[in-house]
Amino acid sequence: MQIRDLPYTDPGDPDVRSGPHFLLWLGLGQLTGQLKSLSWGLMHQCAIAGLPLGVGLAVQAVVERSGGDLAFAGVLIVALGVLIAVGDTMLHRTAVTNWITAAARVQQLLARKTAELGSALTRRVAAGEVVAVSTGDVEKIGWFVEALSRFAAAALALVLICVGLVLYLPSLGVLVAVAVPALALAVLPLLPRATRRADIQREKAGHATELASDTVAGLRVLRGIGGEELFLGRYRRASQEVRKAAVRSARMWALISAIQVLLPGVLLIALVWYGATLVQDGRIEVGQLVTVYSAATLMLFPLRHFEEIAMAYSFSRPSAQRAVRVLSLKRSDQASTLEAQVPEGDLYDPMTGLLAPRGLFTAVVCGDPDAAGRLADRLGGHAEPDEDASGPVPSVLLGGVALDELPLGSARTAVLVQDKDPVLLSGTLRELLDVPSSGAVAADDALAAAQCADVLDALTQASVDADGDPMNTRITERGRSLSGGQRQRLALARSLVTDPEALVLDEPTSAVDSHTEARVAAGVKRLREGRTTVAFSSSPLLLDLADRVVLLDGDTVVAAGTHRELLRDEPRYRAVVTRETEDEGGAKDGITAIDGLLPARAVEEIEERA
Amino acid sequence: MIGLAPPEYDPAAPTSATTLPVGTPTTVRTYVRSLLRRHRRPFALLIGANAVAVIASITGPYLLGGLVEDLSNGVTDLHLERTAAVFALALVVQTVFTRTMRLRGAMLGEEMLADLREDFLVRSVGLPPGVLERAGTGDLLSRITTDIDRLANAMREAVPQLAIGVVWVGLLVGALTVTAPPLALAVLVALPVLLVGCRWYFRRAPSAYRSEAAGYAAVAAVLAETVDAGRTVESHRLGARRVAQSDRRVREWTAWERYTLFLRSVLFPVINATYVTILGAVLLLGGWFVIEGWLTVGQLTTGALLAQMMVDPIGLILRWYDELQVAQVSLARLVGVREIEPDAGDDRVGPDGREVRADEVRFGYRAGVDVLHEVSLDVAPGTRLALVGPSGAGKSTLGRLLAGIYAPRSGEVTLGGAELSRMTAERVRGHVALVNQEHHVFVGSLRDNLLLARTDADDAQLWASLAAVDADGWSRALDDGLDTEVGSGRLSLTPAQAQQIALARLVLADPHTLVLDEATSLLDPRAARHLERSLARVLDGRTVVAIAHRLHTAHDADVIAVVENGRITELGSHDELVTADGAYAALWRSWHG
Repeated sequence: MQIRDLPYTDPGDPDVRSGPHFLLWLGLGQLTGQLKSLSWGLMHQCAIAGLPLGVGLAVQAVVERSGGDLAFAGVLIVALGVLIAVGDTMLHRTAVTNWITAAARVQQLLARKTAELGSALTRRVAAGEVVAVSTGDVEKIGWFVEALSRFAAAALALVLICVGLVLYLPSLGVLVAVAVPALALAVLPLLPRATRRADIQREKAGHATELASDTVAGLRVLRGIGGEELFLGRYRRASQEVRKAAVRSARMWALISAIQVLLPGVLLIALVWYGATLVQDGRIEVGQLVTVYSAATLMLFPLRHFEEIAMAYSFSRPSAQRAVRVLSLKRSDQASTLEAQVPEGDLYDPMTGLLAPRGLFTAVVCGDPDAAGRLADRLGGHAEPDEDASGPVPSVLLGGVALDELPLGSARTAVLVQDKDPVLLSGTLRELLDVPSSGAVAADDALAAAQCADVLDALTQASVDADGDPMNTRITERGRSLSGGQRQRLALARSLVTDPEALVLDEPTSAVDSHTEARVAAGVKRLREGRTTVAFSSSPLLLDLADRVVLLDGDTVVAAGTHRELLRDEPRYRAVVTRETEDEGGAKDGITAIDGLLPARAVEEIEERA
Repeated sequence: MIGLAPPEYDPAAPTSATTLPVGTPTTVRTYVRSLLRRHRRPFALLIGANAVAVIASITGPYLLGGLVEDLSNGVTDLHLERTAAVFALALVVQTVFTRTMRLRGAMLGEEMLADLREDFLVRSVGLPPGVLERAGTGDLLSRITTDIDRLANAMREAVPQLAIGVVWVGLLVGALTVTAPPLALAVLVALPVLLVGCRWYFRRAPSAYRSEAAGYAAVAAVLAETVDAGRTVESHRLGARRVAQSDRRVREWTAWERYTLFLRSVLFPVINATYVTILGAVLLLGGWFVIEGWLTVGQLTTGALLAQMMVDPIGLILRWYDELQVAQVSLARLVGVREIEPDAGDDRVGPDGREVRADEVRFGYRAGVDVLHEVSLDVAPGTRLALVGPSGAGKSTLGRLLAGIYAPRSGEVTLGGAELSRMTAERVRGHVALVNQEHHVFVGSLRDNLLLARTDADDAQLWASLAAVDADGWSRALDDGLDTEVGSGRLSLTPAQAQQIALARLVLADPHTLVLDEATSLLDPRAARHLERSLARVLDGRTVVAIAHRLHTAHDADVIAVVENGRITELGSHDELVTADGAYAALWRSWHG
């Protein structure tokens, strides 16, 4: 796998039994890459290890005043230089490729898993946890997978160098060979404590960042009401705690680097002392002593890999564990017993008795928002069962077909429930409105019906390179740059484009001002002519346009009719819709009784003025 | 591999027109200088410890060089014990000072970093409210998270390590010059290659790394959005599109990874070549010099070992120079906040009375495009004024002008005869408060969330404020009372509870004039109704300007102003406007039909 071939067309089916299993699966998935990296790494390390030979030969040649030998040493050094350059570069290329492919694979797996789980995901794990895997853990997982072959190369090179030294100069070589394992392992006992302190530091830093971003997120509140000093003081304390924790952690790393200076230094002293006596006794050459000394200093490079791999593993194991936790989640829906199909007909909920006749605009009024939410969820089919439900809840029927028994995709195609807080996904407006749809409703018509003209203006003003086409303007994450009412109308336009068999809208205009709301309601009604539409609302402007209004008390339908009929005959309806509370009901009775123009005329009037 | 062009799509390119400024190179330089000045002593200490450690580390090669010299001259009395003792002493010094250097480096880096992030927040909370309204907090948010993060690496590692690396190379070259002046020339041979290579690389690297980082962040951002929008994704059957979107981001990100890998594929051989050239040149030239008798064997050995030691600091400098360049961009973004004019308010300007007036006010967000045209309005103390009208008519803008958040382009908005725009934000908010849909609950205790409105309030006053907005029921039931940790990731409050907290803050802050901008419009209608009762108690006895979505709010107001196309087209009480039979009357009838 090369970087240019990414992304994977299919990232595969991961082994999610445990963190280490997952790491192993990732490593095995790029075996060729690992072997390449191992080979180049070995070449690099061995070429570096060969340099002292050149240094020793050169010194020896100079001692013997031999120009020929000196030239030979020079050629050797240049040759080694080429090998080092090639080995180093290729090792880096292969190792980074391993890192990138592993990270990309995990990212792709996460994307597929979250898309598959949909609304079920955040009921199982916190949203932050999933995002944390993507932002923090993937890097650590990739690091370990990548470091593995580099470590193997270094370890193998060390063994080779030791063997080489022992063969080259048994007397000093043995000394080095004995010391190397001690050097490799000396700092390992300190690492757990160091990583623990690093973890504490990261945790505190995370807390400080959280406080800072929270303060900034609420900055308008602070600037409007006060309390800046209170929050600054709080942040300063957190920030200073991060600093202290970081210094505490640095103490440990400073100690580790000191040990990494001290131990090899002791080896070098021993080498010089012992080697000098050997030279004096005539048992070895001066050049050989320089070679071994130089080799010993260069060994520090491969030795560092022991420390790195230990750290990489201690960081990546919990990360892999967290990734596995997310990747092993599954949907718990009822299995579909029916074939994929999109039924047509009336939408009917047996539990409440709600009936939305095919092709009509039905409005639902419900005093209890929780009950309304539950009903809206159920209308889409495949709602997660309530924890306190006494028995199995009967499925909502569309044209007599139980939605819960349809495959999820079919149920969602047949009925689209736009919930109370629909999320606008970032991207261009064109991308936002490019949703799976019947194809019968053009984006422009949907935008016009949802009265989005001012939204398009706002988007065009805020964009850099829209070249005048509102469809090319960008919507920021969650549509944060727009007002609540503007977001709601865009989301409505998106649902209208989808044009499902049955469209269920939960409070689609709660944040829209009354002027615009009347026009939105009329637009929706016009566009959905002949299609089944259900809207949860308590706004008279919308209710008055509905073909049929249903009043829900708790989980039961208690009345149905037109807005006017219910307003006249049903006190409970009046109470909910005209926003009278019991204590002021009497006083405002006069207002309720005001009966005026036909709403259609009122809307026309407003449109004329606008 | 022959040359690779940078990918076409740049994830780091700005997509939004309304962002805060980025610091100019001069501002950044001035800031860095002041930062270094503030930390002069620790910096000097770091350099000192570093120099001692490096000098001690040079002792080994020196001693070995001397030994080689003696051995090759056949000297029999080597004083090995003495040599070993000096070596050991040097080693102890090197060990101790290496530790000191690492620790001092970290302490310095952490202190600078803490300074930087605290500075930034101090600046941020001092921003004029108008700037915040317009630019939003998103940009600021990304600066305090992403940019601080990137700087953390630079401050913690890059600055100290670079300082160490530079001193280290300097000392090694110095030592080489002292031991064997001709060998210092050998180092110069390698310099041209290194300079040309680095110039090529560092011209391309910083922006490439920025794009790479932005590309990687975009991968995570898509996933975060899919998670956040789980319900929407499922109901609109967007799963496959989200996966395709993620894959596209992965492709864009890895294209940049591939490009930076190419850049390093050029840089690495250059560094390696430099290193080998230095070593080879020292040995060969030096060897020739020795053979010619211009240099001793001992000098050559020391020189060769010193040259070999140079690989460490050179690697260090190249490794961190990169990071420093990337950090520079982040620093420019952080320092950019300093370039925003602070509040121009005059401390001496204060209101005399409570009357709010707008006099022939014109205002626009962009030059040449006015949102409000000659709006005049008079709000007597204690009046309730409702602003109604279609979206985009300028209601919210007018509200913000009356709350002193924006200054009019021409005309004036006064409170008690004094111009609002000439007062400081701190002065304005003692009198006028804007209440909007943003009911932010801060991470922290319930107490902190209330105290911000009046920092000297005692618990009894806090409880009273909660009771005043009907929030004492649920808040008394909390396990830790006022100490309960709330906010994201803690106990999460319902939107209605969050709104009550916002109202309780108003009770504590006690401004005499309130501008309400759709304060309850994002709430469930049922919860909104409950809140309106809490709100009504807060409003009691204050001047209120309400931007109304819902007509019943307007109905209850003393005066209603209909705003259309940036002008006030109707003004009067509910009854008057209904009688006048204009736009308001038509709307009212359909609403109550």
